[in-house]
Amino acid sequence: MKQFDFEQVGKRMPYSVPDGFFDKLEADVMQKVNETSALPNRRKRALRIALPAAMAVAASVVLFFALKTTLPKNEAVDFESVELAFNNLSTEDQEYLLLVYEQDEFIYDLTDYELQFNNEEE
Amino acid sequence: MASDKEIIRTMQVNSEQGFRLLMAGYKEPLYWHIRRLVVNHADAQDAAQEAFVRIFRNFSQYNEENSFRAWLFRIATNEALRLIERRHNESVSIEGLSDILADSYVNYGDLEAVHLQKAILRLPAKQQLAFNLRYYDELSYEEIAEVAGSSAASAKMNYHLAKEKIIEYMQKNN
Repeated sequence: MKQFDFEQVGKRMPYSVPDGFFDKLEADVMQKVNETSALPNRRKRALRIALPAAMAVAASVVLFFALKTTLPKNEAVDFESVELAFNNLSTEDQEYLLLVYEQDEFIYDLTDYELQFNNEEE
Repeated sequence: MASDKEIIRTMQVNSEQGFRLLMAGYKEPLYWHIRRLVVNHADAQDAAQEAFVRIFRNFSQYNEENSFRAWLFRIATNEALRLIERRHNESVSIEGLSDILADSYVNYGDLEAVHLQKAILRLPAKQQLAFNLRYYDELSYEEIAEVAGSSAASAKMNYHLAKEKIIEYMQKNN
């Protein structure tokens, strides 16, 4: 019986690949990788815009109620400065603020409650 | 070719640049490793793509105390095994043997090489893996153990068992 010798075959394989296959594989993988790494970047950018806006909303809500409790009851709250600050924001931030306001049940309900409370007082 | 350390350092500083170095050094070894397991070129292409994307996404999970090469081969192996399992669920095929006959990217003229692949494909999975990683990719037994999730001693035993079975098959079929 003929003795099999690994050295005769070596690392030779019967398999082959299409021409230019490895370049295509690299290009396809890089494209997929760039697609996946682009997603978190978009999220980070959105967060960079949204986070200061959200903080501004929270701060203005706190300020609003703080002023309301410290000011004399019959003194009207001056919204001019709030309006001015709002107008100075970019359209994107303005839209975001309105969206947060509409979607935030706490702020929304509280404001409703304040309105109702004021009406009852009147 | 950049060293593993160089690839790791570059990946940590600039992931895209580092990954290009990784691709340059490993696209062929990992593809061929997957190909030897799944046999069919189109399947190997899919599994290789998926493996590289996983490597990129999970790079932060790589533990520098372990072999980088073994970590890469482990991901590639898992991807190949996942694909084989999926294919087995789709149709009953005996260890990829039918794929050798069906794939157009196989040189049937090289009978000895075809027989060797058939002999490897008949081996149990752990022996097949140990043989391929040692014989073709020259991984150490410690690295093979990391890839297979076993001990170095078990990897060595599997390699030698595989070699004996292959010799037996080749002598019968030559």
